Amino acid sequence: MQTALDEPAEWEGFSRPLAGRDGWRECYLAIEGMHCAACALTVEHALALLPGVDNVRVNGASATALIAWSPRLTRPSAWLAALAGAGYGALPAGDLLLAAPRRQAQRVLLWRWLVAGFCMMQVMMYAVPAYVASPGDITPDIAGLLGWASWVLTLPVVLFSCWPFFSTALRDLRHGRIGMDVPVALGIAIAFGASTVATFDPTGPLGHEVWYDSVTMFVFFLLSGRLLEQRLRDRTAGSLEALMRRLPQTIERALPGGGFERVPVRRLVAGDLVRVLPGEIFPADGVVTDGESQVDEALLTGESMPVPRGKGQLVVAGSHNLSGMLAMRVERIGEQTRYAQIVTLMEQASMDKPRLARIADRIATPFLFAVVAAAAAAAAWWWSTDPSHAVGVAIAVLIVTCPCALSLATPAATLAAAGALARRGVLVRRLQALEACASIDTVVFDKTGTLTLAPMALLATRCRPGIEPARALALAGALAQHSLHPASRAIAAAAGKVDCIATGLTELAGHGLRATVSQDGGRHARQLRLGAASFCDAPARRHTALGLEVHLADEAGWLAVFEFDEALRPDAQAAIEALRAQGLSVQLLSGDRSVSVQRLARRVGIEAAWGDCSPEGKLRHVSRAQRQGRRVAMVGDGVNDGPSLARADVSIAMGQAVPLAQAKADFVVLGGQLGAIPLLLSQARRTRRVVRENLLWAAAYNTVCVPLAVIGAMPPWLAGLGMALSSLLVVANSARLARLPAEH
Amino acid sequence: MDILFLLIPLSVALALIIIAALGWAVWRGQFEGIDAEAQRILEAD
Repeated sequence: MQTALDEPAEWEGFSRPLAGRDGWRECYLAIEGMHCAACALTVEHALALLPGVDNVRVNGASATALIAWSPRLTRPSAWLAALAGAGYGALPAGDLLLAAPRRQAQRVLLWRWLVAGFCMMQVMMYAVPAYVASPGDITPDIAGLLGWASWVLTLPVVLFSCWPFFSTALRDLRHGRIGMDVPVALGIAIAFGASTVATFDPTGPLGHEVWYDSVTMFVFFLLSGRLLEQRLRDRTAGSLEALMRRLPQTIERALPGGGFERVPVRRLVAGDLVRVLPGEIFPADGVVTDGESQVDEALLTGESMPVPRGKGQLVVAGSHNLSGMLAMRVERIGEQTRYAQIVTLMEQASMDKPRLARIADRIATPFLFAVVAAAAAAAAWWWSTDPSHAVGVAIAVLIVTCPCALSLATPAATLAAAGALARRGVLVRRLQALEACASIDTVVFDKTGTLTLAPMALLATRCRPGIEPARALALAGALAQHSLHPASRAIAAAAGKVDCIATGLTELAGHGLRATVSQDGGRHARQLRLGAASFCDAPARRHTALGLEVHLADEAGWLAVFEFDEALRPDAQAAIEALRAQGLSVQLLSGDRSVSVQRLARRVGIEAAWGDCSPEGKLRHVSRAQRQGRRVAMVGDGVNDGPSLARADVSIAMGQAVPLAQAKADFVVLGGQLGAIPLLLSQARRTRRVVRENLLWAAAYNTVCVPLAVIGAMPPWLAGLGMALSSLLVVANSARLARLPAEH
Repeated sequence: MDILFLLIPLSVALALIIIAALGWAVWRGQFEGIDAEAQRILEAD
């Protein structure tokens, strides 16, 4: 895979030429496994020591590094190796080159906030004398000077800091709708306008009362809320983008002289012949030239059932090849198809508003109309008796009712929770799933690759009399190299380079592989099967292996068995204990033999375990549990989990899962940390609690304050303080979620 | 009290200068990636 990164054709995708240094390039890396600020320095050292790498800047908060490198002196695989040596994983993050506008926006908002905060403090100082002095203490010329100074310092706040509110309000009005910023902008404009008139014409109809301190404070608190919201949002957006970062996808392309080579997808041209293994994604639109398979096009068409595809039929880029190996001729390539798919995924995740937030949005519009009407009515009523008081009442109504707190309640909480989870290695694919996650009572695990580690070591090979173990392994390797199943990967790795060719390969998910294997130019072709014991007619044996067994069979029956040592993930036991401590029921479903499944279940403390499950069996099991009223979370990694992942109330895929499982999952756990799963579930429950608190508080606040403002019992400064504090309280309450609970 | 006629405009000017300085710091990226800086002094080299 690393060689694909070293291809000059790939460099454009993740790096750009460095201005001012000829031949040098600049690139962002997303670092995995960074937990603290000290890690940032370790990463910096590891990269800076490499020849041809320069200007290393590591950001601990976002777990990214920006480096300059020279293609003449180094290759991307060298950095990845250096980082791996230091204990960190890394992926080039080309998307960060595109994130410059976001950083720009962050800086502008930060500056707006600093301006508002600093001016607020200074304006307060000018306002204090007017509050504490008894009448006659301040001469009119000093009072005028203080008013003038306040006006000068409020001007940058209104013109610069408030600009987002004014522009959003204007846009809303131009489109004939009303948004949250309309009353806010109206309130600020009226307060500042009335104060300006009062400052420069104290004897005028609006009296001499000024609201500079109220305006600056209101803007400062409002921007504080926006700033926090933006930070949360960017952190979540960053982690969603991280999910899209993969090593460049590669595909096997036919060589002119026969055989195949792995090339980056980017190098394909129309007319190329490629073969797509089960579990892989189609790299381009094209026509199948050989083979039969089931293809999952759910991502593109929404069709949830896999569709059969055979010779002469069309396949589309971005869909998943499920069962058989397909040869195809590339017809259309390019960014378009893949790009469209990623955009859909991203939009789907970010547009997905939680149900409660949607309700809040729906009631916002009539509510805002009522606010503006109430402000106008109150002002009109007071105008006849006391014009200077009328302005104050209108400002108070406009400001106090701003439903910021209500609209922030849910997104602030879910975004904070998602950000915290992302830092712990759990990517939230669907924000709405956090809500469902809170009511989970059953967690179902897959075994191979989920509870156990994916790379397995070959322990022993035993064969039918008359066949060499090395020969059996070579035959098995010929089949296994076409599959992405962890056991196949292990066999392929153990077999090394093989001299036989497998054709007409079909993968029966949950059972095994079937293919015709030939050598010596096709004279000794034989039908081989590789997979579960039942699939290969394996003889029953008294002795049972410690770990996973994979069997090989030909037309004459059972041929050999390969035993693998299956290592439990180091944190599996702790994670399952933590889940049980949370009062959840933990179950294990596996396509592996019952005996080894039961043994593993006992080892980690799972009571309910079922072996010999086909994908349909797993699906049936999950739906049966749901019919019994259980809320099921499914944790899986492979092709055969796809249906049950889709069916479960909440689906969690392990980070190294095949793309199909990741595409169907609500959450992706990176780095294979099972310990993150109990954390995810407890975090989801905390999130639900915080959202409820937020909504309750926001509703109570508006119910109490709106009538007070309308009857004129609330001065503008109190309205501003109350409104801003209510939003801040919601954001601060949500920010508690940014810190994960102590690990069990 | 007359000194206030000098001091108040001065404070306004000072506030505007500080705002500009904050802007300079923001655009130089001084508020980004601040976690590692605290650790740097603990490093050997």
